[in-house]
Amino acid sequence: MLLRGFTAVLYKEFLHLRRDPLAIFFALLIPMVQLTIFGYAIDMDVKNIPMAIVDFDHSQESRAFVQALENTQYATLRYVARSHDELLGLIRAGKASIGLEFPPGFGRGVRQGSGQQLLVLVDGSDSQVAFRAQAVTSQLGVMFRNSQERPPVDVRTTVLFNPDSRSANFMVPGLIGIILQIVTVALTAFSLVREREKGTLEQLMVSPVGKLGLLLGKLLPYALVGLVEVATVLIVGRLLFGVPIHGSVTLLFLMAIPFLLAALGFGLLISTVARTQAQALQGVMLVMLPSVLLSGFMFPRASMPLLIYYITFAIPATHFLEILRGIIVRGAGFSDLWPWFVALVGIAVLILTIATARFRKSLS
Amino acid sequence: MSEAAIRLEGLTKRFGALTAVDDLSFDVAKGSIFGFLGPNGSGKSTCIRMLCGLLEPTSGTATVNDFDIISDPESVKTSIGYMSQNFSLYDDLTVWENITFFARVYGLSGDRLQRRADDVMGIVGITDQKDKIAQTLSGGWKQRLALATALVHEPPLLFLDEPTAGIDPVARRALWDLLFVLAGEGKTLFVTTHYMDEAERCAALGYIYQSRLIALGTPEQLKSLPDVNRPGERRVELRAGRATDALAAVRHLPFVIDATIFGEGVHLVVPSDMSDDDILQAVALPDARVEEIEPSLEDVFVTLTERLAGEA
Repeated sequence: MLLRGFTAVLYKEFLHLRRDPLAIFFALLIPMVQLTIFGYAIDMDVKNIPMAIVDFDHSQESRAFVQALENTQYATLRYVARSHDELLGLIRAGKASIGLEFPPGFGRGVRQGSGQQLLVLVDGSDSQVAFRAQAVTSQLGVMFRNSQERPPVDVRTTVLFNPDSRSANFMVPGLIGIILQIVTVALTAFSLVREREKGTLEQLMVSPVGKLGLLLGKLLPYALVGLVEVATVLIVGRLLFGVPIHGSVTLLFLMAIPFLLAALGFGLLISTVARTQAQALQGVMLVMLPSVLLSGFMFPRASMPLLIYYITFAIPATHFLEILRGIIVRGAGFSDLWPWFVALVGIAVLILTIATARFRKSLS
Repeated sequence: MSEAAIRLEGLTKRFGALTAVDDLSFDVAKGSIFGFLGPNGSGKSTCIRMLCGLLEPTSGTATVNDFDIISDPESVKTSIGYMSQNFSLYDDLTVWENITFFARVYGLSGDRLQRRADDVMGIVGITDQKDKIAQTLSGGWKQRLALATALVHEPPLLFLDEPTAGIDPVARRALWDLLFVLAGEGKTLFVTTHYMDEAERCAALGYIYQSRLIALGTPEQLKSLPDVNRPGERRVELRAGRATDALAAVRHLPFVIDATIFGEGVHLVVPSDMSDDDILQAVALPDARVEEIEPSLEDVFVTLTERLAGEA
């Protein structure tokens, strides 16, 4: 009896979806646009930092240093200045982000191994660029000191799983989680608020439709749309950005279920609070922001303040992103990921319980 | 089986300190059109929501088609049709899709579903527009579609909440003709309206004011209520040029108990010892005519409402 009307509602929702091809188009287009933006434009690998120099030495060594720096591909020589002030001006104007000033006698100092100073100016207004510029120049300084001598500790780092540190490999899994959440939360909230706004919910409530039948019939189509999008992003990520999937795709979809349920729960929760679609939109934004900013999608959680770090565990996207990166990038299995999965199930149950209780109340 | 389609027994609903419906008790006879009237906010909608099984009463109860609204709201829901004042169907679905969706919700399937959907389209005369998207229908057609969906599961009782609000007079007439056909077939119709000409067409009327039922009966019974026709008073219609001028002329006359514009004239309540000539003399307008009249339903409700408001 609770399920009464389920198939009728389900069929009707698909009619709505078919009647509104633009909505489907946008639902599929937006993830593609995001994927392209994140994949191509927001390349976190900093390269070709514009560089300016002023060389008071004109030695073989100063030229060799600039050449070595360019060879790393992190920096490109753009300007040669004639004075310290001109160098500073180029950085202030944003024309160069690294400025090198070779003092007179730089080459002689290097040859004698007496330890020679080199002034490096770095533009701090972009922290990513500044960080990379500092790292590269100081590393180069150490190497340049004396190529014959062995350093006291020879550190050799091996980056596992994503050897080139490509941001696409890092972004695509995260994007799957974020897209799945945006689509399901928004579509669920809007489809329910629309029924309330139009009065059709009242018409349904005087019918013998079961509350569970109504709820499942409305939520299932949007869960399916969400899963189709996951598959699309995975395929496009593979074809366009060559992001390999090291783990099991089946496991990925299975573990997506509690995340999906949590997202549907959020959508449902928003629909019990929002009276209009405009209000629902704000509710969707409210849910989205912490998921994008705090889940580890863009910024590493480990470097967040302790209180915020604890809060991130309450966000479903946090757990799902760990699962996604685990499966896609590291090829992790269920035995590696079950704690995240259990946490996700717990959160999903909690949200759905609160949301359905509120939904039932809002109907009467 | 009782003869009443709906029976209210002390039906009461309180929201906190506010009493929305106060101790309503009356019967609605099977196969009749019952007009449920009252100003906005008087408790009509709350009462209907309780009778439809959407809202539990605070005290008292009611039976709808012999099902108790408290203990068996689900049976109540399957045995009624509901049509609200706002078009509350899916505007992006076609006429056919809307009707069949609700038919499925009510558990119809297969051949029976097809047949019933065809039947109700025939009843309301919307078969030609079967594949039209609901949004593109005019107001009157939308209401016919709403009526069709309310009828699809063959309920013996229909609740119609201001079914004619905001549609044109021709469509309004057409819809009422349909309602009479349905009543003729033995269906009970529970209708709310603000239109007095529609109220006149109901077999029985209930008037609710400030959460309480203050009048119940046939239109004729209500017009002859002692509260409306009090001893020592009589009701006349005054016609003299423009109605607004006539009203201005009589409003401040000491003997006038009540004066309201109706169409081109003014309805006056005056002491019965005032003759027509006395009135004409006092009004002193050229070409004035006075005629004794029966109270209209609007007179009835305005009078009852004002009496109660005066007492409060």
